Amino acid sequence: MKKATPYLLLLPALLFTALVVAFPLVQNIINSVREVSMVKGVGKWIGLANYTHVLHDPLFLLSFRNTLIYALAGTLLALLIGLALALLLNMKIGRITTIASFLYTIPWVLSPVVAGFAWKWILNDHFGIVNYWLSSAGLIDVGTSWLGNPHTALFCVILARVWQFYPFAMVMFLAGLQSIPQEQYEAAAVDGATTFRRFFHITLPNLRPVISVLLVLGVIWSFNDFNMVFVMTRGGPMNASMVLPVLVREFSFVYFDLGKGSALSIMTFVLLVALSFLYIRVLSGKETA
Amino acid sequence: MKRIILVSTICVVAFVVLLPFLWTLSTSFKSLPDVNTYPPEWTSVNMSVRPYIDMFFYMPFSTYTLNSLIVASASTIISLCTGSLAAFAFSRFQFAGKRFFLLVFLLSQMLPGASVIIPLFQFLNAMGLYDTHAGLILVHSAVLLPFVIWLLYGFFQGIPREVEDAALIDGCSRLTALRKVILPLALPGIGATALFAFLGSWNEFFFALILTSSDATKTIPVGIGLFVGEYNEIWNQMSASAVLFSVPPLLLFALMRKTFVKGLSAGAVK
Repeated sequence: MKKATPYLLLLPALLFTALVVAFPLVQNIINSVREVSMVKGVGKWIGLANYTHVLHDPLFLLSFRNTLIYALAGTLLALLIGLALALLLNMKIGRITTIASFLYTIPWVLSPVVAGFAWKWILNDHFGIVNYWLSSAGLIDVGTSWLGNPHTALFCVILARVWQFYPFAMVMFLAGLQSIPQEQYEAAAVDGATTFRRFFHITLPNLRPVISVLLVLGVIWSFNDFNMVFVMTRGGPMNASMVLPVLVREFSFVYFDLGKGSALSIMTFVLLVALSFLYIRVLSGKETA
Repeated sequence: MKRIILVSTICVVAFVVLLPFLWTLSTSFKSLPDVNTYPPEWTSVNMSVRPYIDMFFYMPFSTYTLNSLIVASASTIISLCTGSLAAFAFSRFQFAGKRFFLLVFLLSQMLPGASVIIPLFQFLNAMGLYDTHAGLILVHSAVLLPFVIWLLYGFFQGIPREVEDAALIDGCSRLTALRKVILPLALPGIGATALFAFLGSWNEFFFALILTSSDATKTIPVGIGLFVGEYNEIWNQMSASAVLFSVPPLLLFALMRKTFVKGLSAGAVK
């Protein structure tokens, strides 16, 4: 009885996880090698046909490329901005930094739907404030449509994503900066090291564990992210900003090709498991370091 | 001199960073003709709360709000009840497979929603739960669980074992100890966790979008997310709904900043 107690306590949580996570995942793998339709349900075994369909779809390669750009560029930019702002706030010049750190974190607190909406609105071709400023400065033509242009749409979504993710990086960097032993800086000051050298020889090496955690987490989260692209562009125009999670929905619930949708989502899942293992290695590396 | 430069940098950055939200806030008080003027202005003479009233008539915003409240409250209660039992097991028992189960919960948090959505849709459809509150509550509860467990696990770990041992010596059973000793001590932590779980469900978009279809079950983010594509002309009312929808998260953040930051990064760096 005593031995069973912890397992009994875990049971309800495990049941939920099994029902909503584990079984659907297994079912999805089964779906992906079968003929599935909305009307007839799961049909006969067709091997890897769904996978080859996905691989031969030009949309897959485009979305895969876009997802990689979205995840990598978005994460790197967010890390850079997060680090810059953390350094700024770490100057400790009184109460204003406390207020500023509060204000700088707000984008993270907002729902991704609200974030996507707000960005779509400031980038509006005629009535958005950003276009007005840029065109008044003579940088762009009046009525330039950023989200309607296949060359700029993905970039705009990445900006909105960076806006939502940088505060997380900033908060983590700030915690990292505050845990760097002050003696190291004092010693460097005695040696007459410049600010530049202090940053590259003390600050950056000390932040390395934080940077690796943020990089992996940021890439995983962005890789999974459906919200920003869906709200801002729905993957358009002409699929120019299509990413994998949005494509899964498109295959499954717009074209009702559940088999193809399943195959694509399993492929995304495998990529993510690989990234997650990297994450766990980074975390356990941090423990031993 | 250096101080002035720093302070002004901080202020300029704050403005740039908050620009999308400020612009939305300004739009939410404008009349439609003022929204659709060129050049755009930050303020206009006839700003009012009209869009905040109109949106309840032009959009089914009150139904959406009710749906969001029902789904978020129920999911919070369910995930907290099941999650606290699991967190208690993790923090107070040594058992075979403990690391494995912790890992299962950590990884299920990383799982892309897209990789389970099709079978979930089929399953809910077969059970008659597609496009119902119950269906979405079931999914949200499970989605919130890993997060709830990680947070509570942290809070339970912070309660000294001696307190509980004393209760055990006094003849309490493990579960009575949980109920009478640990839960009251962990109450602040549980409260904070409940608020995060509520917010998690309140903000959730992907599952809510795909697992609902009628206005009677759609939550607020689904309403806003779909409006962006369909009702492009009423930017002022949409801004108003976006602002109103953001009040609970912002309020929570303002009231408990420290816990908030700790909570949102929980599970990330454990």
